[in-house]
Amino acid sequence: MAAAAVSLNALTKRFNAAPPSVNNINLDIKPGTLVTLLGPSGCGKTTTLRMIAGLEIPSEGRIMIGDTDVTRMPPERRDVTMVFQSYALFPHMDVYSNVAYGLRVARRPVAEVKERVAEALALVGLGGFGDRRVDALSGGQQQRVALARALVMKPKVVLFDEPLSNLDAKLRRRVRGEIRALQQRLGLTAVYVTHDQEEALAISDKVVVMNAGRIEQIGSPHDLYHRPASLFVADFVGRANVLQAQWDGHAVQLGEMSLPMDSPLPAGPVQLILRPEGVRLARNGEAGLSGRITDLAFVGGATEVSFDTALGQVEAAVLETEAAGLCVGDTYRLAFDRSSTHILPANAV
Amino acid sequence: MTFITLRDSLTAHRGLTTPVVWALVALALWLLLPLGRPGRAFFPLNYDFHAFALPPGFYWLVPVAAVAIWLLQTTRLISMDRISDWQAALALSAAGGVIFFLFGTGTHFGWGALGTVLALLVSAGSALSSNSRIRGDTFVGASVFIALVFVTVFIVFPLLLVLRTAVWIDGTLTLSQFARTFASPLFLFLDNPFTEISEMGRVTTMIWIGAVTGAGLSVWRTGRIALSWRMIRPIVIWTLSGMAIGWALGIMIWGRGALPSSLLVACIAAPGGTALGFALALLGQRTRSKPLRGMLSVVSVLPFITPPFVIGFAIIFLLGRRGMVTYDLLGISPIDNPLYGIPGVALSQILGLAPVAYLILRGSLNGLNPALEEAARTLGASRWRVFCDITWPLVRPGIAASMLLATIESISDFGTPLVLGGDRNFLATEVFLALTGRYSQPEAAVYGTVLLAIVALVFVGSRVVLGAQGFTTVTGKPASGAFLPLPVWFEAILTAVALFWFVFILALYLTIFYGSFVQLWGINNTLTFQHYREFWQVGWPVLWYTIKLSAASAVPAMMLGGLIAYLVTRHRFLGRSYLELGSLLSFATPGTVMGLAYILAFNDGALLMTGTSAVIVLALVFRNMPVAIRASMAGLSQIDRSLEEASSTLKAGSGVTMVKVLAPLLLYPLLAGLIFAFVSAMTSVSQVIFLVGAGNNLATVLLLSWVEQGRLGRAAAMATVMIFGLLALILLLLVVSRRVDVRNSKKGMK
Repeated sequence: MAAAAVSLNALTKRFNAAPPSVNNINLDIKPGTLVTLLGPSGCGKTTTLRMIAGLEIPSEGRIMIGDTDVTRMPPERRDVTMVFQSYALFPHMDVYSNVAYGLRVARRPVAEVKERVAEALALVGLGGFGDRRVDALSGGQQQRVALARALVMKPKVVLFDEPLSNLDAKLRRRVRGEIRALQQRLGLTAVYVTHDQEEALAISDKVVVMNAGRIEQIGSPHDLYHRPASLFVADFVGRANVLQAQWDGHAVQLGEMSLPMDSPLPAGPVQLILRPEGVRLARNGEAGLSGRITDLAFVGGATEVSFDTALGQVEAAVLETEAAGLCVGDTYRLAFDRSSTHILPANAV
Repeated sequence: MTFITLRDSLTAHRGLTTPVVWALVALALWLLLPLGRPGRAFFPLNYDFHAFALPPGFYWLVPVAAVAIWLLQTTRLISMDRISDWQAALALSAAGGVIFFLFGTGTHFGWGALGTVLALLVSAGSALSSNSRIRGDTFVGASVFIALVFVTVFIVFPLLLVLRTAVWIDGTLTLSQFARTFASPLFLFLDNPFTEISEMGRVTTMIWIGAVTGAGLSVWRTGRIALSWRMIRPIVIWTLSGMAIGWALGIMIWGRGALPSSLLVACIAAPGGTALGFALALLGQRTRSKPLRGMLSVVSVLPFITPPFVIGFAIIFLLGRRGMVTYDLLGISPIDNPLYGIPGVALSQILGLAPVAYLILRGSLNGLNPALEEAARTLGASRWRVFCDITWPLVRPGIAASMLLATIESISDFGTPLVLGGDRNFLATEVFLALTGRYSQPEAAVYGTVLLAIVALVFVGSRVVLGAQGFTTVTGKPASGAFLPLPVWFEAILTAVALFWFVFILALYLTIFYGSFVQLWGINNTLTFQHYREFWQVGWPVLWYTIKLSAASAVPAMMLGGLIAYLVTRHRFLGRSYLELGSLLSFATPGTVMGLAYILAFNDGALLMTGTSAVIVLALVFRNMPVAIRASMAGLSQIDRSLEEASSTLKAGSGVTMVKVLAPLLLYPLLAGLIFAFVSAMTSVSQVIFLVGAGNNLATVLLLSWVEQGRLGRAAAMATVMIFGLLALILLLLVVSRRVDVRNSKKGMK
């Protein structure tokens, strides 16, 4: 087995009373990959990150960075840097001194500090900003300074704690692209915390979905979206319709419809996960589930349509070209794309 | 609804707008009540001083203006906007007429003059607000005028009189009193013929040392010497400043007299108190020990419940000539006891100032973003390095603010030097002694001016320092995360300091408690209730009177403070910075100077009020108003403006909005301000000591006189009663605040 850059072993953190904020987490992070911890607020993702940084001490378990056990090592001795949600730029220092801080603490020679800081600032597109006051920068620029300050140390692992949550929506998309590009170009190992599933899917090699202190699922963005391991993941990553159905080993029986599908599940009652973009209007002669339109909302590229069916509410994202002429109250037959469906055991949560 | 339409139609019909109504009220008061009064007493009304009985004067402007204001409205000869301007001008000149008459003839103001002037101010304010010269409605307009007049009469005018008295002597402008005072040994006493050393010589030596050090430092800083003007200028500047510092240090160390003593004590007590307060604040925020945290939360309450000089006299019990430690334990003979003078005053002030510094620095520390320190740690900095590189530079503005306040408090302190000063003179006490001992108003005014000048210098200096390093914290969202614990060895040192301090403070308070039960401290230690019996006979009536006056002053202080805070934070108007300056002046002016100012302003003439309870209440109101202003401002900044905007879009005026929306949300800050105003009224001494007389003595003044007379047991008894009473009150406040806080958190506090 190739040595993991970071490996978490039965990691648990308790604050005061039970239940633990982080409960028995096991995770190996390969060198050069970006792994995202995704989950709702309070799921323990930030606490996990802070334990990797050394800012919290685990109650149980072990943290390895490379071959070193760092579980009880203070943060300043770990080869890890962090980009904070609030950026945590030192307000009494200019941009240069902020970026140079870590190198100066490490007593690097002045010439080297100069060179590396200039390099790091150029990397994030802030060359020539060295003598600015940090409070004279825009939010996006402050974010880049924080990034440069973390990267200049050339750490084994860079940690990101919701780094984009203070930027507006447009800027967020751009910066996340830049972070991903930098990470791949420099071959960085990165752990990235976010509660935004779209962000997680867009930039990660691997996504760890967490809920209530536990890992729900680990997988590539594609896996998570198309093969969620639990109802929680299905619902948290993207939008999902959940319908009760019967599985006979080859196809899912849904009313008069039959959807052929591959799944190792034993035959019996199942829950069918159905992505809204996989719901379309059935063509002539095609079998389908009958549904009456209860709501229409134009959201830009598509129209969100709510159908009332015999099996419950079904949400569909219909392309604009197909949505023309739809009216509330009309009844249509609905067909489902096979690639957008997935089944879970009936008792899965 | 119907009532409003009815009222609107009535006012439209008869021209009874708000300015007109108030002008007519002014007229009615002018007609009904006498303008002046013969002596100090406000009652009974004396109609010899009614407008019709007095010689003719400018006060006749009142009926003229009132009728004109009404006629302007009903006849509508000019445009609406101009009408309001004219009405305001008329109302103000009528008010000015009354004031001019009172001051011109020296007539003591009476109920009629008071009521008429206030009603005319409301009239002028509402007129100006109705044509939007003042942005706001009638309530705001009227409040602005009244607040401006109050601040002028009770803060700015008395202080200006102090300056005038110092330079205007026997009808001529002269600096002779300054010259005489500065030459007096009481002010600056340099070469003492009765000592073997030559103080003057030592000071000269210090000046030379300063010059050499300054020159050396400037050369060392630039690193080379060259004979060009660019090189020489900094050397000259550094040398001269070195000489100045050397001179100042020399005078403070070897000089005698009020100026060097006050400065030396301030130079010891302000940094000492701040350092101690900083140690306590750091521990309070980050110590790993829970009991220590609990102990430190008690700290913040101490300065509020202890009259300022009580620590001083507890120190006498412990460290004085017959002190438990110095005499009984260490066996130092009473003659060799070094307490009285600089050491005692400085020690007492350090202990008193530390909790104040603690509060300021605790706030400053809590304002830091913990993520900053965490970021530094992930970048490789050790805990101690983080403290030096991040925590300390960021908390420096707080340190400067604390130093500023501590310096001002130290220089203004009146009680401690009186109790522990020994043969040293101090500026704050000399103001009092010059006035009451040497009966020289000009001399007292000169000392007052010097004090004011020092305070102003310190203020300006700190603004320069603070202005250079005030940084806004860069954050998007407030980050979570706990503050780093301190390095273990550092925490151990701080804990040792804190424990030593705590034991010492505890000993002081226990001493007072114990001292109230023993016959004669250090000489006859038999237990007795005699002091409490004496306190009950002599002290209790005075204490009760003090409680009544303090309560009477706390409510208006709170209301006026709340009003000014509301006006200053929520409205823009001409004179806004003047209101802020006024509140700053009343906060920063040493109490003795304010006391002197009140004597000068209210002892005779138009504003005669001394000898009455009214003047004491007013002194306390304006002394404690800044506390109320700050409490209200802090509360107001927590409340989103949209709440008021919502209220005003629902057609509520700003008066209604303030009472129905702001006041309930501000309940806790207002209540806290009220209790603090009451407590600080109970414990203040320096200003009121000028204003009390035989019939209206106050508890702190009586306590101080007992300490001076050496009746320490009786003083201890009264101090014990006061401390326990005020402690109970503060605890009540804490309980109430918790209740109210919960309520507020559900009510749309931001």
